[in-house]
Amino acid sequence: MSKFNSMLESKVMPIAGKMAGQRHLQALRDGIVLTMPLIIIGSVFLILSNLPIPGYNDFMAGIFGKEWATKMAYPVGATFDIMALLACFGIAYRLAEKYGVDALSAGAISLAAFLLATPYKVSFLPSGAKEAILVDGGIPTALMGSKGLFVAMIVAILSTEIYRWFIQKDIVIKMPDGVPPAVGKSFAALIPGFTVIAFIWILRLLVEQTHFGSLHNIVGELLGKPLGVLGGSLGGTLVAELVIMLMWSCGLHGANIVGGIMAPIWYGAMDENRIAFANHEALPNIFTQQFFDIWINIGGSGATLALVVAMILKARSQQMKQLGKLGIGPALFNINEPIIFGLPMVMNPMMLIPFIITPLVTVVATYIAMSTGLVAKPAGIAVPWTMPPIISGYLATGGKLSGAVMQAINIGISVCIYYPFFRMWDKQKFAEENGTQPTVEEVPSDTQKDIV
Amino acid sequence: MNILLCCAAGMSTSLLVTKMEKSAQEQSTEYKIWAVPGDSVRNHIDQADVLLLGPQVRYLLPQFKKLGEEKGVPVDVINPVHYGTCNGEQVLKFAVQLVSK
Repeated sequence: MSKFNSMLESKVMPIAGKMAGQRHLQALRDGIVLTMPLIIIGSVFLILSNLPIPGYNDFMAGIFGKEWATKMAYPVGATFDIMALLACFGIAYRLAEKYGVDALSAGAISLAAFLLATPYKVSFLPSGAKEAILVDGGIPTALMGSKGLFVAMIVAILSTEIYRWFIQKDIVIKMPDGVPPAVGKSFAALIPGFTVIAFIWILRLLVEQTHFGSLHNIVGELLGKPLGVLGGSLGGTLVAELVIMLMWSCGLHGANIVGGIMAPIWYGAMDENRIAFANHEALPNIFTQQFFDIWINIGGSGATLALVVAMILKARSQQMKQLGKLGIGPALFNINEPIIFGLPMVMNPMMLIPFIITPLVTVVATYIAMSTGLVAKPAGIAVPWTMPPIISGYLATGGKLSGAVMQAINIGISVCIYYPFFRMWDKQKFAEENGTQPTVEEVPSDTQKDIV
Repeated sequence: MNILLCCAAGMSTSLLVTKMEKSAQEQSTEYKIWAVPGDSVRNHIDQADVLLLGPQVRYLLPQFKKLGEEKGVPVDVINPVHYGTCNGEQVLKFAVQLVSK
């Protein structure tokens, strides 16, 4: 194994293993994933209410009345605006599952705890009034959405930790035999649930004495702002992308692992853009979840679509031709495991160079294009990451051609970086196949052990 | 025999499922092969005779090995080369081997 490989193996693997095995990070990622299907559904309505077709607005207004856009926004609100609520339940559920305690109860308790942490005050603008007044007795949808995401995460983890502590210490009300298990379970949740609610309640009472006023304000100030700066800056993003690619270089699903930390930031940024987009204001963020899904990971992590196309058009060796044919279908839908493990990219010093460099270059290029206004920013529309490129760039910007053009440019950049390395690799394979060179073992021997 | 595969989103493993089913058709044994995302393995493992992980989620192995021991289901990581080349035949062989061990 070369020096580079052993460096990767010894430095990245332990970090990746630790991060991936950390159950709170896992729970965060898996819990937030629960919101994704709904967000994508909401995005469909968001696109439909903002189709950039001349005359579309008048056409729709003619059929459904002047208020049609407002009505179209109902499902958008019902999906995006409960992001934190769902994430809170999902995170608690997944974490409890990992501890092997009743996940449904843990989810329910943390949901109540999250609502308890939230002041039921909604700002309301009466018709004719100039300033909004605070009204009691409503659940503020703003705090149930991405703005409440961090509080939801903290409350979910905190309450589930308390819950499982009681269950694991067996401090629960036990029902005699013969009582149905479902009834028994609800009684078992009583003591831990009461403790969680009491704890959050006291916390809220204490916070209300300070100038912050609510837990949401504290978390926003102390956690949300610094993390937002990290996730929203070019430097922070490049570091995150580099870590993702280093993990993939060892054959680990980097995006999935790093997602535990970055997802709340990038989803939060996405939702800010969504709100601005719906109100026809300037979009505040460039780095959202979609920035990576749509413009960077074209063909999968490492932007390997370009490589697969090169294989199909230019490969001389049989192996590369075959792999190109096998890989092009999935690559169009941004799935590239056949390439990563089949070429292989994993632990392959030659191919790892473009694999790591390409996404970093496209991050910078896309950032420059978007920050200078040449290319439209992601509009907070969650296009599924499996959507083929060009279409996805058009949709994710809310129907701006520049979004699709940027994808084409990024594919072009990827081709330029990958091509020389691909040529070298292909040449070597071609020589091996024609017996002009002794076969080089292309797979680290320790991964081959487990077949035989 | 029931073979459960898992990866991050259950996408790339589902490619492999098709190839494995093709290879299974040539044999007379009844196979049920399906792929799920890592976070829903718990809901599927009871129906499985063997659980195979994609190499990109091999960090899940310790966790699922423990689960597999509880349920009496052998768990292992698919060989990366077979995975990358979608070699259904070899992966099927590997699964059968694990079960018969």
